Amino acid sequence: MSVIKTFEGREGHIARKAGSDPMSLSCSNESLAGAVSQRACVYSGARVVLNPLTNALHLVHGPIGCASYTWDIRGSSTSGPTLYKMSFSTDMKELDVVFGGEKKLATAIKELAHKYHPPAIFVYSTCIVGIIGDDIRAVCGQAAAELGIPVIPVKSEGFKGNKNEGYKAACNALFELIGRRDYESRSPYTINLLGEYNVAGDLWAIKPLLEEMGVEVVATFTGDGRVEEIERANHARLNLVQCSGSMTYLAKKMEEKFGIPYRRISFFGLGDMSNALRLAAEHFGQPSLMDRAEEIIERETARVMPRIACHRDRVQGKKAAIYMGGAAKAVSLVKGFEELGMEVVIIGTQTGDSEDYRKISCIVKDGTVIVDDANPLELRELLQKQKADVLVAGVKERFLAYKLGIAFCDFNHDRTTSFEGYDGMVNFAREIDVSLNSPVWKLPKLRASTLEAGEYGKMRELIAMRESGAAANV
Amino acid sequence: MPMGTVLAFKGIEGCMPLFHGSQGCATYMRLYLAHHFREPVDIGSSALSEKGTVYGGAANLKEGIKNLISGYRPKAIGIATTCLAETIGDDIVQIIKEFRIEEPLASHLPIIPVSTPSYSGSHEEGYARALLALAKALAKRGEPNNKVNLVIGSVLSPADVRYLKDMLNDWGCGDEFILLPDISETLDAPLVEDLPAIPEGGTPLQDVADTANSRETLTIGGRFQKDFAGAFLEETYDVKSSLLPLPIGLEHTDLFMCRMEELTERRLPRKYETERGRLLDTLADVHKYLAGVRVAVFGDSDIVVGLTRLLTEVGAVPAIVATGHRSPGFMAEIRATSADPIILCGADFTDIHAHVGKGRIDLLLGTSNGKQISQKEKMPLVRVGLPNHDRVGANRQLILGYEGAGRLLDALTNALLEERSRK
Repeated sequence: MSVIKTFEGREGHIARKAGSDPMSLSCSNESLAGAVSQRACVYSGARVVLNPLTNALHLVHGPIGCASYTWDIRGSSTSGPTLYKMSFSTDMKELDVVFGGEKKLATAIKELAHKYHPPAIFVYSTCIVGIIGDDIRAVCGQAAAELGIPVIPVKSEGFKGNKNEGYKAACNALFELIGRRDYESRSPYTINLLGEYNVAGDLWAIKPLLEEMGVEVVATFTGDGRVEEIERANHARLNLVQCSGSMTYLAKKMEEKFGIPYRRISFFGLGDMSNALRLAAEHFGQPSLMDRAEEIIERETARVMPRIACHRDRVQGKKAAIYMGGAAKAVSLVKGFEELGMEVVIIGTQTGDSEDYRKISCIVKDGTVIVDDANPLELRELLQKQKADVLVAGVKERFLAYKLGIAFCDFNHDRTTSFEGYDGMVNFAREIDVSLNSPVWKLPKLRASTLEAGEYGKMRELIAMRESGAAANV
Repeated sequence: MPMGTVLAFKGIEGCMPLFHGSQGCATYMRLYLAHHFREPVDIGSSALSEKGTVYGGAANLKEGIKNLISGYRPKAIGIATTCLAETIGDDIVQIIKEFRIEEPLASHLPIIPVSTPSYSGSHEEGYARALLALAKALAKRGEPNNKVNLVIGSVLSPADVRYLKDMLNDWGCGDEFILLPDISETLDAPLVEDLPAIPEGGTPLQDVADTANSRETLTIGGRFQKDFAGAFLEETYDVKSSLLPLPIGLEHTDLFMCRMEELTERRLPRKYETERGRLLDTLADVHKYLAGVRVAVFGDSDIVVGLTRLLTEVGAVPAIVATGHRSPGFMAEIRATSADPIILCGADFTDIHAHVGKGRIDLLLGTSNGKQISQKEKMPLVRVGLPNHDRVGANRQLILGYEGAGRLLDALTNALLEERSRK
C-alpha cells in the first residue's frame, strides 16, 4: 500500500520503514515531467561544486539566464579572493545560436583573462551549447595555450541528466588541475578535504582543529579553495570525503591515479565530528596524533555540551522531517537529531542512489517515511500526515513549511549559519529551538469572532478582563 | 525569458506555469522567485533529458501537462519554452493540439503556449510575451461590456497591484475595470488553515476572455517592449489601446490619475488628493537631504524610468541610469527626464560598477543585484524591484502612486542619514 496518494509512477519512490531488513526504493531515474521535482540540472550540479573555488574565473557559456540564476547563490565564504562571486556569461543571443558561439567564447576568455588575471578559468557548457555543438574543448585548449593558464571545459549541458552528472563533470574538471604543482608539506600527516564547501564559514571551525591535531590540510575541495591548492592536492596522503554524493567520484579517481586512499566522514553533529577527527588520526597510525585527537574531542565536547543541553531540553521528543539534496547530509542529520533527542519522521533526498536509501533505511526507526525526488504536493501531504514539527531543507521548501505552519531550518548550500564542527552543532540546536518554539506557530490561524457563538464567550471574557485591567490601573 | 512568463501566469486565477525544457530551468527560477516573494512558487517542468532532446520533447511535454492537471487541478496552464525546447525545434502549439485530442481531461482546459528562449530576451520580454499570449489564447469576442482593461505592463510587486485594486474600489469603479494580471494575492498569499494547491486570487479567466469586449485598454509600463497585449486587442477586437508610464513619482502619477478621470468620468477620490498633498509635503521635508545626491539607478526599464523621474522631482541627481534591456526608447526617455546622466542599456553589473567607481556616487537605487557594488564601494543600496534576495518585504514594497513615492523618498533619505550617522 502506498504511503500517500501521488502521481502515477511515483509510488515506488515513497516507502515507510518497517522491520529490520534494508529497504529498496525507486531512485536514480529521470524526474517525472509535470510533478514539480525539487531537483535542478547538470549545469547546476557542476556550478555548485566548482563555484567555491575563490580565485578561479567562472565563465558560463550560454544565455544570460543560466549565469544570472546562479550568481553568487552559494553561501560559501572566502578568506581572500572574491572573483568566484562573479558570474561571467557569454550572453549568447539568437545569432550565436544560429552561427555558433565559439568565436564569442574565445573572445570572452581572452578579455576576462586580461582583465582579471585568474590562475585558472572554468568554462561551463549549458543546454544550448550541447545542441548547437560548439567545440568548447577546442576553444579552451587554444586559449590555454595562448594564455598559459589552465582553461578547463566543464561538460555540464543541463539536459544530460540530473545534478549527479553535473557533480561528475565538475570532478572531471577539477581532476584536470590536480598534479600540476610541486609541494613541500609542513607535516608528514597530510590530507585533503573533499566535499567541504565552507558554507557560512564551516571550514573555519574544522581546519584549526585538524591543524591543532598535527594534520595539515593540503587542499579543500572546494570551500574557500584556491586553484594552487587543487593543483598540489596529489601531495596529500588521505582524502576525507564529506559530501559523498558530489565528491566520491573524484576521490576514486585520485585513488586510482595518485594512490591516495579516501574515507567518508561528516563534520556535522558532535558524534560525527569527533569520529572524523579520530578517523584522520587513526589513519596515520601515530599514537601522539590519536592522543591529541582525544584531547581535542574531550575538550570541545565539554565546552559546547552545556549550551546544546539547554536547547535539547526544549526540543526533545519533537518530530523532524529531512529533505536534502544529497544523502550524506541526510544521514548525518539523522544522527544530529538523535543527539537532540528528536525523532525523524520523514527523510528524503533529491539525488540519493539505491545504496544510499538502503543505508538510510537501516538507520531510521520504524514508521519513518523515506522519499526520493519529492515534489511540493508530496512533501506537503507527508509533512501533515507524519505530523512533522520542523522541516530541514532548502529555500524552495522553506515557504511551503511556513505556509503549513511548520518550523523550518535551512541546511542547504545557501544557508548563512555555520552548522559544522562543535560550535556548528550549537548553532544548529539553537536554530531548531528558536523555530520550533517560536510563538508565531501558537497564534490562532482563525480569528475568533464575537459574532460567532462558539468563540464568543471566550473573546467576551478576554475583552472584559482587559477592560477591568485598564480600569484597575486608573 | 521564461521567468517573466511565470509572473504573468501567476496573475491568472488557477493558472499553473510549466516550462518545456530541462528540470533545472524550473527549479532555478522557482528558487529565484521564492527567494524574492518569500512564497512557495510551484512551476512544472517537462524535465527534458538527453533522449527527449534527441528525439523531440513531445512525449515529455504531454506527460508533464497530464501530471500537472492530475496533481494541481489547474484552471489553466501556461507553457513557456526554454532555450533547449526552442533549439531542438519542438512545435508546442502542435503538441498541445495533439494532447487535447488524446486527453479528454484537457479538452476544455485553456493551455497557453508562449515562446521564450532565454537567448532572445530577458524576463521583461518574457512577461510581455506571456501577456500577449494570454490575450491571444483567451480573449473572445462577445457582447460589449463597457469595461476598461487595465494591463500591468511591467513586473510590479503584489503591494503595487493591491494599491491599484484598492484605488479602483475607492473610485467606485472596481467592476468597470479588468485588471490584468493580478498577483496581489497569488504571490503574497495569507497563511491559512487549509493551504490550497494553487494560491487563490488572480484575474478570473472569464475576465481575460472579456478583454476582447472592453471599450479601451490602458497599459501602464511595458512601454519598451515590442510585444504587447493592448496592441493585439486593438488590432483584433478594435479595443482602443493606450500606453502610459508606470505611476511612479508625482508627475507620472498625475498623468495616470488624469487618464483615470477621463476613463471613469469621475473626479479623483479625495483620499488620493490628500495623498498627493502629503507627497508634496514629504518632498518639501526631504528635499535638502536629497539635494544634489548622486544616485545610480538600475533595474527593469520602466521602473528605472519612474525612479529617475522621482529623483529629479526631489532635486537628486540620477547620475547613472542603467537597465539590462536594450531599447532606444528608454535612452530617449531618460535623456528627456534628466540633464545628462550616464545611460547604460543592456548593461551588466560590471559596467555599472565601473561607472560607479568613477562617478562620485552617493547612493545606489535598484535590485539586490547591486549588493556587491554596495559592499565593495561601502555605499548604501536602497532595494527596489526584482530581485530582492537579501532583505525582507519585497512583496509588500509599494512604489506606485503618491503613497509609493512618499515611501521611496523616506527610504532614500533614511538610507543616507543612516550612513551619515555611522561615519
